[in-house]
Amino acid sequence: MADPIIVGISGGVDSSVTALLLQKQGYKVECVFMKNWEGNDDENCTAEEDYRDALAVCDHLGLPLRSVNFAREYWDNVFEYFIDEYKKGRTPNPDVLCNREVKFKAFLDFALELGAEKIATGHYSRIEKSNGQFKLLKGLDPGKDQSYFLYLLGQDALSKSMFPIGEIEKTNVRKLAQESGLINHAKKDSTGVCFIGEQKFFKDFLKKYIPAQPGIIETVDGQTCGEHDGLMYYTMGQRKGLGIGGGHGDKEAPWFVAEKDLEANTLFVAQGHDHPALYHDQLAADQLHWMGGAVPDNLDGITAKIRYRQTDQKCEIHNLSPDTCGVHFEQPQFAITPGQSIVFYHGDECLGGAIIKSRK
Amino acid sequence: MPYFDHSATTPIHPAVLEKMNVVSASYYGNPSSIHSSGRKSKAIIEEARRNIAAAIDAESSEIIFTGSGSEANNMVLWSLRQADKKHVVSSAIEHPAVLTVLQKLEPLGITYSALPVNNHGRVKPQDLQDAIQPDTGLISIMMVNNEVGSIQPIKALIEIAKSAGIPFHSDTVQTLGKIPISVKDIEADMMSFSAHKFYGPKGVGFLYKRKNTKLKPLIIGGGQETSFRAGTENVPGIAGMGEAVRLVKENLIQRMNHLEKLESIFLDHIQKACPEVIINGCPKHHIPGVVSASFPGQRSDILLAKLDRRSMEVSSGSACGSGSVKPSAVLEAMAIPEDQNVSTLRFSFGRENTESEVIELAKVLGVITNG
Repeated sequence: MADPIIVGISGGVDSSVTALLLQKQGYKVECVFMKNWEGNDDENCTAEEDYRDALAVCDHLGLPLRSVNFAREYWDNVFEYFIDEYKKGRTPNPDVLCNREVKFKAFLDFALELGAEKIATGHYSRIEKSNGQFKLLKGLDPGKDQSYFLYLLGQDALSKSMFPIGEIEKTNVRKLAQESGLINHAKKDSTGVCFIGEQKFFKDFLKKYIPAQPGIIETVDGQTCGEHDGLMYYTMGQRKGLGIGGGHGDKEAPWFVAEKDLEANTLFVAQGHDHPALYHDQLAADQLHWMGGAVPDNLDGITAKIRYRQTDQKCEIHNLSPDTCGVHFEQPQFAITPGQSIVFYHGDECLGGAIIKSRK
Repeated sequence: MPYFDHSATTPIHPAVLEKMNVVSASYYGNPSSIHSSGRKSKAIIEEARRNIAAAIDAESSEIIFTGSGSEANNMVLWSLRQADKKHVVSSAIEHPAVLTVLQKLEPLGITYSALPVNNHGRVKPQDLQDAIQPDTGLISIMMVNNEVGSIQPIKALIEIAKSAGIPFHSDTVQTLGKIPISVKDIEADMMSFSAHKFYGPKGVGFLYKRKNTKLKPLIIGGGQETSFRAGTENVPGIAGMGEAVRLVKENLIQRMNHLEKLESIFLDHIQKACPEVIINGCPKHHIPGVVSASFPGQRSDILLAKLDRRSMEVSSGSACGSGSVKPSAVLEAMAIPEDQNVSTLRFSFGRENTESEVIELAKVLGVITNG
């Protein structure tokens, strides 16, 4: 009896097709549904519905499905960091941590303990082994590549993981799902933070964990132009929901969040997408991680993404230390956001990344 | 596929299924209709009521059909909203169908005291005596715990309730078919039962309500069940439950002997295969065929999955909490340390299990806990 591949299945089409592809390739496949959040009745958590979809898919494919609860691991290692970052006025990305701490640690350990050969997830990425090293490559569908979220993985996790759908395009994933009669072939992709749900619930959610401190909004020229509900609700480059009334500047051009002053509890805004206050060409980052376990031999010609789905930006790394680095971009970048990740690439290969600390 | 999870639910008895097939196919009338089809259906549910009443030494008029054991519990507890005395004494190891309801009732002014249990999962009668307040309007203590199978000192508890003049309800869902139940012997005022725990169908249960015990309906509308439970009766379900109870009555001693034998063989083998195993619950007062066993150093979800992979079906804690490996609240109340708690499996045997199956189960447990 060959050891199984254990697929982390979410009820969505991507992880379902992951299981389907592996089954077609002749692997012994088992599925595990992770419950990472203990929602109350009144929260917008779709876990129960997602579990039903996962069950329907596994039942259809004849695969065993088990559930496991990592709510405690998620809370301790992802959620508390998430809240702390917001308290500091930064905009964290919980998904990168969830991958490192939950999916590719707690779940991986669980699967290995169950006797799995490897785990598989529905990420649009690829893993390639060369010269004894495991490399993370971008998914083949340029519009869906999810390597950005996986940069915190190390060699150990990469050596025990599979991303079968990284080799195909999203439209084909849906097509395969439909051809195989999976009930979720047309299910909407999940958006937003998994434990909050849609963006519209975000403010109410955060309010439960962090007391809101309203303050004033100033233009970058020092003119008071409105009030904010609490700095944590705003992120760099944000345009919607600023509520800046008329009478300030050009009526036509929209306003954007340019800066936060946590001590003064002031939000600074700039008008027009091209306003220079919204652009920086340098940043400093910490919590630096290299996927190969050490600084890559060659950092010439690297690119970076400072947000998911951004096109690769040419840059140079300087002031490199084991944990921190500085980055100089060839082109000024819009709304560099402290707390978000900067992820480095060499062509298609994801090298690693860091958390943005400051910009200038 | 060996199934060792009979405390979660049981496979339907062939005779019950046969009864339900006949009733489903032919008895379509609404029992409230006065025409012939309606009368026939009414006769079916009344036959079931008589069978059930006879099996527990009750009167037919003391049986109220419900949609589940949980509903029976809910009916009893929500009834307190219309009662004068608003304090309840319960226990720390009740099923969520009691404990969660009590929590939901608190904002409505209904308070409760949860009696502690000892490390055998039993309450002390003296604690009940001490917990009674002038405002206590109900005592609700389960007779048999679903996770560890301990039997409460029910007669002593009822005696205390009687002398204090307080109605006594018991969640007895785990009892029928495993120990003798007679309302002449166990003088509770109300008891909740669920058909699928004793080889009957899912989605049907009943409440025993001693004559003159005060109760308000939870579901109102029609006048069914002497106005205690509105809604057109689940005729095939009730018929199936009636047959299942009749079979319990007919075969109780034989079933108990079978369960006792399976349990003792299993205990014998599991202690040899896994010398580190710890058996939870009360060695003296427990229902036959239910074993709560901890495997220190292991995780119950991993063990469950490894057993499932070998087509052996068991449970960790209560089935209603599946998908979660939070420590069991019942085992916590029994002061069982956390590493023992999260390594606990519940094996509950049934009439179709064989000696060789439980020997094989012990053997497999030995393999998966040692490797």
